[in-house]
Amino acid sequence: MVKIYNDYKDHADFLTVYVREAHPTDEWQMKSNVKEDVCYAQPKTLEQRVAIANDFVQRQKYPLPFGIDDMSNAADLAYSAWPERLYVIDEHGRIAYAGGMGPFNYDPKEVRAWLAKRFGPVTQSTSTATPAASGSATTAPATETSVTRTPASPATR
Amino acid sequence: MSRFWKWAFGSFAAILILAFAGLCYMAGSPKDVYGMVRYAFPHMHRGKLRVGADAPDVRLLALDGSNHFHLRERTGARPLVVIFGSYT
Repeated sequence: MVKIYNDYKDHADFLTVYVREAHPTDEWQMKSNVKEDVCYAQPKTLEQRVAIANDFVQRQKYPLPFGIDDMSNAADLAYSAWPERLYVIDEHGRIAYAGGMGPFNYDPKEVRAWLAKRFGPVTQSTSTATPAASGSATTAPATETSVTRTPASPATR
Repeated sequence: MSRFWKWAFGSFAAILILAFAGLCYMAGSPKDVYGMVRYAFPHMHRGKLRVGADAPDVRLLALDGSNHFHLRERTGARPLVVIFGSYT
């Protein structure tokens, strides 16, 4: 998503919403989390969740704008977000794209395709969007950084 | 008849074992299968938003841990791409 952000930040806004942990040490921890030293218990307080979110931003050097769901998990519940999901909200405040539940149906390429259809294909090698009517959208690069890392998809996707 | 039921039970048990083995392969280990059943499956049945629906407004906390904002404050001028996830 970092690459998509860098390509389209002049055309769309981005917001990462941090929700409850997918694979904490006290619930369903994956081997990859241990291997990559990403071991956190499920936060019991907002301060703990904020601390983990800040760890993520600093360790991954994550540049996207960030918001944190509170301990009522209101955002998670409203958007069926856990463990990871993508949405696009249009200028009228309506859902324009609703991605599938991660990890298997979490697909940044679909977001890129939506943005390409709307603004034209953009890659970091081009500085401006080209008209959408010119043809097919640029396919996404092989790796996109994702907030949630899964055993099948490590930190860069 | 008893032979029929023995075969039926044996076949059913074999299917269950194969299904469990398949899930272990897919998830990674028996512990991961437990995690999937315990934590992932219930969340798959929650209500989903559809394209065209009004995006719910929610109150979020900034990374500084003290300032709040509403998701809808970020909509209006341009499309908003929202990425939900966590570190683990």
